[in-house]
Amino acid sequence: MKRLFVVLVLGLLPVSAYATDDVANDATPPTTDHAALIQAVTNKHILPRYEALAETGATLAETATQHCSGTGPALRAAWGKAFDAWIGVSHLRFGPSETDNRAFSLAFWPDSRGKTPKALRGLILKGDDTLLMPAAFAVQSIAVQGYYAMEYLLYDPEFATLGAEGFRCDLVKAMAGNIALVTAAIRDDWVNGYAQTLITAGAEGNARYQTQAEGVQELFKALGTGLQVTSDMRLQRPLGTLDRPRPDRAEARLSGRSVRHVILSVEALDELAGLLSTGAPSLAGQFHDGFGYVREAALALDDPTFATVSDPGKRLNIETLQAVLEDLREIAAIELGAHLGVVAGFNALDGD
Amino acid sequence: MTPLKIGVALAALGFSTVAQAADGSAVLKTYADIAAAKYEDSLITARALGDAVDALVAAPSEETLAAAKSAWRAARVPYQQTEVYRFGNAMVDDWEGKVNAWPLDEGLIDYVDGGYGAQSAENALYAANVIANPTFEMSGETVDASDITPTFLAETLHEADEVEANVATGYHAIEFLLWGQDLNGTEAGAGRRPYTDFVMGEGCTGGNCDRRVDYLQAATDLLLSDLEDMVAAWGEGGAAHAEVMQDETAGLSAILTGMGSLSYGELAGERMRLGLMLNDPEEEHDCFSDNTHNSHYYDSLGIQNVYLGSYTRVDGTVVSGASLSDLVAAKDASLDAEVKSKLDATMTAMAAMKAAADTGEMAYDQMLAPGNAKGEAYIMGGVNGLVAQTKSIERVVSALGLNEIAVEGSDSLDNPGAVFQ
Repeated sequence: MKRLFVVLVLGLLPVSAYATDDVANDATPPTTDHAALIQAVTNKHILPRYEALAETGATLAETATQHCSGTGPALRAAWGKAFDAWIGVSHLRFGPSETDNRAFSLAFWPDSRGKTPKALRGLILKGDDTLLMPAAFAVQSIAVQGYYAMEYLLYDPEFATLGAEGFRCDLVKAMAGNIALVTAAIRDDWVNGYAQTLITAGAEGNARYQTQAEGVQELFKALGTGLQVTSDMRLQRPLGTLDRPRPDRAEARLSGRSVRHVILSVEALDELAGLLSTGAPSLAGQFHDGFGYVREAALALDDPTFATVSDPGKRLNIETLQAVLEDLREIAAIELGAHLGVVAGFNALDGD
Repeated sequence: MTPLKIGVALAALGFSTVAQAADGSAVLKTYADIAAAKYEDSLITARALGDAVDALVAAPSEETLAAAKSAWRAARVPYQQTEVYRFGNAMVDDWEGKVNAWPLDEGLIDYVDGGYGAQSAENALYAANVIANPTFEMSGETVDASDITPTFLAETLHEADEVEANVATGYHAIEFLLWGQDLNGTEAGAGRRPYTDFVMGEGCTGGNCDRRVDYLQAATDLLLSDLEDMVAAWGEGGAAHAEVMQDETAGLSAILTGMGSLSYGELAGERMRLGLMLNDPEEEHDCFSDNTHNSHYYDSLGIQNVYLGSYTRVDGTVVSGASLSDLVAAKDASLDAEVKSKLDATMTAMAAMKAAADTGEMAYDQMLAPGNAKGEAYIMGGVNGLVAQTKSIERVVSALGLNEIAVEGSDSLDNPGAVFQ
């Protein structure tokens, strides 16, 4: 795609690894083996990532039972690893992650109306321990559950002293315990049934995926969802407008993880795009180069929370990341869609 | 505008140029005719609201306030049925924020309860209270709000400081002025603004009744002029009408984009499931008036009547013609039956939710309470129906011939090898 090339040439952070040749004429015929494609994505991308999510979730819960102080390094490290694993699956919003609102209870973000701090304040000041029992906690507002809510208890100075210390400790344990349960449930559902449902797309009696193309479309949509979340939310929210940048809206700003999330996200999307582009090496190359550029350029920002959105001299570097992701979105929607013979369909981000 | 992206992608991928012969343009004509009728009904009922507001302002009383509220509820019935036109049609989506933006930080507009709070990290004008303040500070500059006019609301106050929650115009701003805040949480009851908030001079409650009256009338006038714009856009020779009719492929994808995006991301997700997961009545679409059950019901009805190509107007007459359903049935009768049965199932679930609220069994905000299994079941019935119908709508996109197409405007056109065979 010429636009991507132009953006990269104009970008302030050129990456030598970017391949400028052979982006157009792809002589290899596209794959038509949808079954093999679904199997590969399931086994190489989805299952290992959900396994990692459940393992890091379990470790987080174990760590919290030993160290519940929000400032403790062991707890923060375990939370960070668990959060990393979540970002690596955050584009896979279908099937087991959507059962019982599981993904929402792990990750309620963006919180544009400040529901999480408000709900956490209410919960902590109320101080009712019975709400922290596993069954009771699981049905509380999603605003007080998951990785993003935990970040307030680990990194927000206001919450370091709010209410009773014992209650905060129990709340951290409840949050971590719930993350462990939910991530295990998603993994178990994948392993014990949903992987089979997806892999057997189009088979007699498969009501969820009536054709193999519907199975492929699900995976294709996941790539689009991931690109959209990273471009429209992880980058656009802090970017705001030139006149009104919004550095306070950067994702996981308190813990300094904003750029890290962009990097983890593009690494996961690069892996998925590579698998989906099987049989179309030039397409795979475009994705790999584009995602690789975003990764390297994000690292080179040396600005973990996108604070430089407010610096007119440096803001362009962040806008460039977004421009490349927008080009990748277009390549995905048009080129990859045509290669796979599927169309975008609808996702949860439609609407306003 | 994420849904437009998908619309563009659908349009770019294109439908088969051979699949749906002449029928497509007849389907699009029905679609445009129904849009014209729905927006005209929205205008007719909004004019009645305007008359009721004038009566309230002329002689504030329990009765005139109740009549204005009743007119507002009636105006929502046709308007909600137009929402299916939003996401597929750029002209509607660009315009929609003026009339139905939501949710709002109502402290921008008028006095609020102490529990609302005085500030928000996301919105510097969270509690600006324009009705009480003829001037206020925005981004370091003083804003002159001495005259509350339609122009001031539309051009200065609406989305002020580039914050979406600064909703100064449209149905929900008017709703807040008529009802006031709903302070009942997840208990029964809507907002209870007294009619005396509109009394001039002695007897005025809430302060600044003259400015509150100015605001209410300006917002109502603005709603009427905005709706007039959309009626014109969908009439014969109107721009939205022409846009839909211009290209069969793009027009049909606009219908499907509108149906799918409203069903899934917007209604099932943002408006219904999110509020339930947060147990938060502030997430109600019509939160001041407790009219949310009707909003959801008529949104869903709009999706169904667009597919079936038949809309019953507020005066009881029917606008109908060649439908998307006919087009799908000609290609794949069982898919058409599937879509129809999914749309029916959604309406059955929505009707059960609406009946529970209408009969007083359980208000919509009560359904959101943590641990209210029955309330959750009412809402999730609608959500599940909408999610299921979205899947069928995606199948329609495929059935109308997507997989056979050359791609317009991309390298693949020049490079047939890259197109799926």
